[in-house]
Amino acid sequence: MGILTVKSVSKSFGKAKVLKDVNISVEEDEIFFILGPSGCGKTTLLRIITGFIAPDRGKVFLGDKDITYLSPAARNIGMVFQNYALWPHMTVWQNVTYGLEVKKTPEDIIEKKTEKVLEITKLGSFKDKFPPHLSGGQQQRVALARAIIAEPKVLLLDEPLSNLDAKLREEMRSEIRRIQKETGITMIYVTHDQKEAMSLGDRITVMDEGLVIQTGSPMHLYSEPGSKFVASFLGDINILEGRVVSTGDFTEVETSEGKLKVLRKQDFAAGDFVEVAFRPENAVLSSGANNISCRVNDVEYYGETFKANCITRAANKIELKSFTGNMKQLESGADIQFSVAPENFILFGKK
Amino acid sequence: MKKIIYIFCFAFLLYFFVYPLSHVLSQSFLVNGKISLEIFRNALGNYVVRRSIINSFLLGILVVISTTVTGVPLAFLFARYRFPFKNILRSLFFLPLIASPFVGAIGMMQILSRFGSINLFLMKIGLIHHPISWIGSGFLGIFILETLHLYPIMFLNISSALNNFDISTEEASYNLGGSFARTFRKITFPLLMPGYFAAASIIFIWALTDLGTPIVFEFRELISVQIFNSIKDINTNPQGYSLVFLVILITLLLFILAKRLIEKRPYVSGRTAVNVIEKELRGKSLGFAYAATGLLLLLSLLPHLSIILSSVSKKWFFTVFPSGYTWEFYQTVFGHRLTRTGIFNSILLSSASTLIDVVLGFTIGFFLARTKMKGRQLLDLLVMLPLAIPGIVVAFGYFSLFSNTPLDPRNNPLILLVISYSIRRLPYLVRSTYSSFQQLSESLEEASYSVGATLMTTFRRITFPLVSPGLFAGGVLAFSFSVMEVSSSLILAVRERHYPIAKVIYTLAGRITDGPYVACALGVLGMFLVGASYYISSRLVSRKIGEFFRIG
Repeated sequence: MGILTVKSVSKSFGKAKVLKDVNISVEEDEIFFILGPSGCGKTTLLRIITGFIAPDRGKVFLGDKDITYLSPAARNIGMVFQNYALWPHMTVWQNVTYGLEVKKTPEDIIEKKTEKVLEITKLGSFKDKFPPHLSGGQQQRVALARAIIAEPKVLLLDEPLSNLDAKLREEMRSEIRRIQKETGITMIYVTHDQKEAMSLGDRITVMDEGLVIQTGSPMHLYSEPGSKFVASFLGDINILEGRVVSTGDFTEVETSEGKLKVLRKQDFAAGDFVEVAFRPENAVLSSGANNISCRVNDVEYYGETFKANCITRAANKIELKSFTGNMKQLESGADIQFSVAPENFILFGKK
Repeated sequence: MKKIIYIFCFAFLLYFFVYPLSHVLSQSFLVNGKISLEIFRNALGNYVVRRSIINSFLLGILVVISTTVTGVPLAFLFARYRFPFKNILRSLFFLPLIASPFVGAIGMMQILSRFGSINLFLMKIGLIHHPISWIGSGFLGIFILETLHLYPIMFLNISSALNNFDISTEEASYNLGGSFARTFRKITFPLLMPGYFAAASIIFIWALTDLGTPIVFEFRELISVQIFNSIKDINTNPQGYSLVFLVILITLLLFILAKRLIEKRPYVSGRTAVNVIEKELRGKSLGFAYAATGLLLLLSLLPHLSIILSSVSKKWFFTVFPSGYTWEFYQTVFGHRLTRTGIFNSILLSSASTLIDVVLGFTIGFFLARTKMKGRQLLDLLVMLPLAIPGIVVAFGYFSLFSNTPLDPRNNPLILLVISYSIRRLPYLVRSTYSSFQQLSESLEEASYSVGATLMTTFRRITFPLVSPGLFAGGVLAFSFSVMEVSSSLILAVRERHYPIAKVIYTLAGRITDGPYVACALGVLGMFLVGASYYISSRLVSRKIGEFFRIG
């Protein structure tokens, strides 16, 4: 059993079923991501873990202690709010020490702990300032400091970077990583930004419409998504429809682009209808196994990478992506041929 | 516990607000226990009543027009242009609001009368040879004073609408070739409509139900004065009921119309308003702007100046300015029995009603913003309605409902006065706490729970400190409004020893000797109290004074 376990939790608001039998298990010391589009139920799940709402069914455990109906104040679960929720009438110092004060911690220990936390979060020189006078990034640090000082068993972060601009977001991303390493605190991090989850997470659980779709390491989810939803939520993907013609070490699939050879990872029988998927960056501009011809419609240039939108003779839309250096720049209107290695295909069953 | 308090809030509003109003409504239809339109027929058959209704409507419409003509261009000038001393000028335009036109009227009588300062001045410089009758029957005087008092409300409402106005909607019209006139007619004005309508209906109802000003000018043919006079023989002549009914009807109609108007179409683009780049005013247009605002300001401060002058003038007969100055009237204010009782009563009554307002306002604000109790929308409506229902209606309702009960105002009106003051100001308190709660993101409280604080600790250290500035600001305002409250004071206080300040001023103004001067001195003190309380409360919540007068 992990440090925090959510067991078969369901929650409805009126007629809307927001969570449907959700199970997650968070291990000690990891950054665990809950990733999903807005409205998938991730915020509700977070609020159930913190205790601001109670589930209709199911339980929440901290270690092996049932905390489902414990008050938020008694849980020892920290929280960094999306809008930071800093108290504007208190200084940085007062904001940070509040959690220790309400627990009646002796003055000298408060002093020592706060100094240390402010040092970790690099806030030492701002301790007498009021939150509204701080920049977005500094406010973010105060929110973190205030949450970690109470030494919670688990720290929840609710889209903590969504209010920052792109550059600062990247900076804070590595800051959170560093603080997690320094403090060894277990984090549950909720976001809809797959880049944040991929770059920061030890494990990710992907949610959609109140259901947990798949849980695993970032690399596992990216290269072996269990569903089309997971595959496309984590990155761009090309999909062709087809039918299995033969099985063996390789699964052969007949598609409108001809026969494709796929390294066998799941069991399909001949005659099954399937979808064959591959990531745009896994296409190589050379002939080999699994050749596909297409015409380049237009090219989007991103600097280090570029993306080519192509169309095949069978009218399938295909995206290709590469580092600018690796593939010579494609031009609109060019006819090209590319291939995908058998191990780079992903198969999804079709009902 | 929570439920009991919640039910108490409801009960308070139902018993002291809905019940008196419904009593008035039912009384105006019941004759000897049967439903009948007889009272209306009798009332409308009366020539004076008919004249009064026509005059009141005329007054309301004229005041709306005059405040529009002054307030709207003024708002545009301040919202769209930049010029030196703009901020100082802007704050000067709040001054008209601090003197009730009732007090201003006493001073203006001095200036506008046949041999008042204006006529004497004009004759002296040879512009006229015979004094002009400025006040005439009194109607013109009422119109002038109400206009001068109320145009800042128009100014503030349009200003705030312009501040939230997305200037790019106008630019899009110009970009497509729209002329200035067309753009104003098709884009700007329609988008300002909700704010304009809100201000116009407040002003209309204010002018329709103002009691103090017409009484000072001794103009009787207005609905409000008729209602006031009908109270003396309320048991034998039910005419007052039908007039109050008419006022309630108009008020509710405007209220509903305003709501419909705002809900019918989306007026907010849902996007952040693009900031206006203010144009610099220079040369001739700057001179014109200064001249126009200066003249308007001078006119609207005339009542203030006149009461201040009156309060310190030893002798002011047949001269443009007083011929001697003295402090004796201020000494009289604190020395005379009547004025001392009035001050004492007003402070007592206003403190009690402010206390009720602060406690109830905070509680109801909390219920509305932070709980999901059943019937919240109804409570919201009930508590905001006194904003629309004129004081004269509430006071009339109390008088007729509680006659011959232990609360009979003829015996002791103090409790009813306290409650009528507090009911009337409750909307401000509820609004300000409600908006404080709204601005106070719930996650601030949740953050406190999540680090282990209890409900009480969270309330004491997080919620209350963050909500209290709004609460105190509202309290200070409610106090000063109550001190200067006119209509319920005039109606409910019957015996001299129960008189609050407003009724003392009214009584003094009617005496011939030094009465009006003492009344002015008392009025000046009241003016400073109101001015100071605006200042204090705007500092407390670091908001602009104008936001207290914004509706919608």
